[in-house]
Amino acid sequence: MTDGNRSGFSAVSRSIITIIVALLASLFLLFIVAPVLGLVSSGGARGLASLATDHELRASLWLTAATATIATILGMIGGTPLAYLLARRPFRGRAVVAALMDLPLVIPHPVAGIALLLVLGRASPIGGVLYQAGMRVAGSSTGIVCAMLFVSAPLYVSAAREAFARVDARYESVARTLGDDAWRAFRRVTLPLSARGLTAAAVVMWARAISEFGAIVILTYNPKVVSVLSYDRFTSYGMTEALPVAAVLVLFALIPLAALRALRAGGPYPSR
Amino acid sequence: MLGIVADTLIIYVAASLTRPIQPVLDTFSARTGIVVQRESGASLEHVRKITELHRVPDLLLLADVEVFPQLLVPRYAAWYAEFARNRMVIAYTKRSKHAAEINRDNWMEILRRNDVEVGRADPDLAPVGYRTLIMFQLAQRFYRIPGLAKSLVDCAPKRNIRSNAGALAVLLAAGELDYIYDYQSVAESNGFSYVPLPDAINLGDPSRASEYAKATVRVRGSVPGMQTELKGQPILYGLSEPLRAPHPSAAAKFLAYLSSPEVVKQLRAAHVDMLDRPIVVGTGAPAGLRTPK
Repeated sequence: MTDGNRSGFSAVSRSIITIIVALLASLFLLFIVAPVLGLVSSGGARGLASLATDHELRASLWLTAATATIATILGMIGGTPLAYLLARRPFRGRAVVAALMDLPLVIPHPVAGIALLLVLGRASPIGGVLYQAGMRVAGSSTGIVCAMLFVSAPLYVSAAREAFARVDARYESVARTLGDDAWRAFRRVTLPLSARGLTAAAVVMWARAISEFGAIVILTYNPKVVSVLSYDRFTSYGMTEALPVAAVLVLFALIPLAALRALRAGGPYPSR
Repeated sequence: MLGIVADTLIIYVAASLTRPIQPVLDTFSARTGIVVQRESGASLEHVRKITELHRVPDLLLLADVEVFPQLLVPRYAAWYAEFARNRMVIAYTKRSKHAAEINRDNWMEILRRNDVEVGRADPDLAPVGYRTLIMFQLAQRFYRIPGLAKSLVDCAPKRNIRSNAGALAVLLAAGELDYIYDYQSVAESNGFSYVPLPDAINLGDPSRASEYAKATVRVRGSVPGMQTELKGQPILYGLSEPLRAPHPSAAAKFLAYLSSPEVVKQLRAAHVDMLDRPIVVGTGAPAGLRTPK
């Protein structure tokens, strides 16, 4: 076989591979996009129109947005230092802590709801104190925030850890040699350089939080977040009433996802 | 066991029946080699899976026999059979507040105390939820306490409502609630203590049907914005084999097994109050189920 033959053969096989890859990518895209498009096209217009009259849906959207935002802020406050430690400071048991942080992702969501109830419910030591202080977890928006935080914070910590890891540690060292203390170096160097990654992590956490159903329905059935409301409408009235609610949620989730894409479109990370 | 490819039985079971029926399904599967796929949930949720998603099971066991004529017959099922009774109770655990003093004479007073958390199921979604409201009205008449029904509703507030009997039982077991209104079979199969209620109000006595029917409750209808009125009725579990069930022979085998004296005895021991013979409504039910004329 000559070289020319060989290169002709690889050109053919390359184009075959290209076709297969394109076909697989298209099929995959269709698999993801078709259900979403179907949902929005069959329920979107009615859902948006019903926003004017459907008080329950409006209240539910507002509740979902507010609780997901609070959960995300709490996730950022608690998760950012943890993500930084995991990315920067080698300590004994770091791998164990990292694995522990991923655990909520593998727990089936109704089980997560029950687990939270056992720790934060009225009968538990912590929940008992909160209850005495007049703060209920189950059956309140606090319960919704707890459920959202538990299931979505691991996504934030994992992405935030990656964002910190992408910042070259030498920049911090330079700031330290120029006289900055550790906190100042973090605030002036690492945080600005990882800000885009942290924001993206927060957006993913927020999006995951608004979609949560299984853990929330155990902890707080009323007041109803959008996921619980769409289940309620499906069971009570069937698909025609559930689709608009779900479609509005999808349209509503487009806001943070579009924001995420806009951020990413800003170019490569400044650390690179 | 007999064939090369195992036969399958798809069965949808009301949440409140899951615990007692599971051992029956396991034994059936072990004896026949038929693979049982059981789905458990709120009765209305099962109905929607059939009518909206067209996921048709071989058998459907529901907590409220009325669901069949209202939503399934004749379009999705040709017949249904009443097969077990149940009654409303007030379930609690050892650590529930005032557990030591509650009894069938003072429950109305204890459940209205400020330090007690009482739960109930959503009347719009679960039969046990609207039956709770019916029971409140019957209790108001029976005990002759004006305003009792409304104050019992107020004492089981929205935050303590869940979508079905199973979710309520989780909250009681976790100590989040002190008392829940639920079926006797659920209380017994979960190992909860319970306050039995008089037959005049517990919806468990078929001979008192006309008495129960004096209480009515308005719940959400099947069209948004509409309400529907439900009358008090004795609690009866119903089963059916929907039209276009994918494995009719497996369904027939299981129905025969379910009606056998051995299984009726086993279910009674598991606190399901089985009728002596199923009462069939409609046509086309397997011969073993049909009530002799």
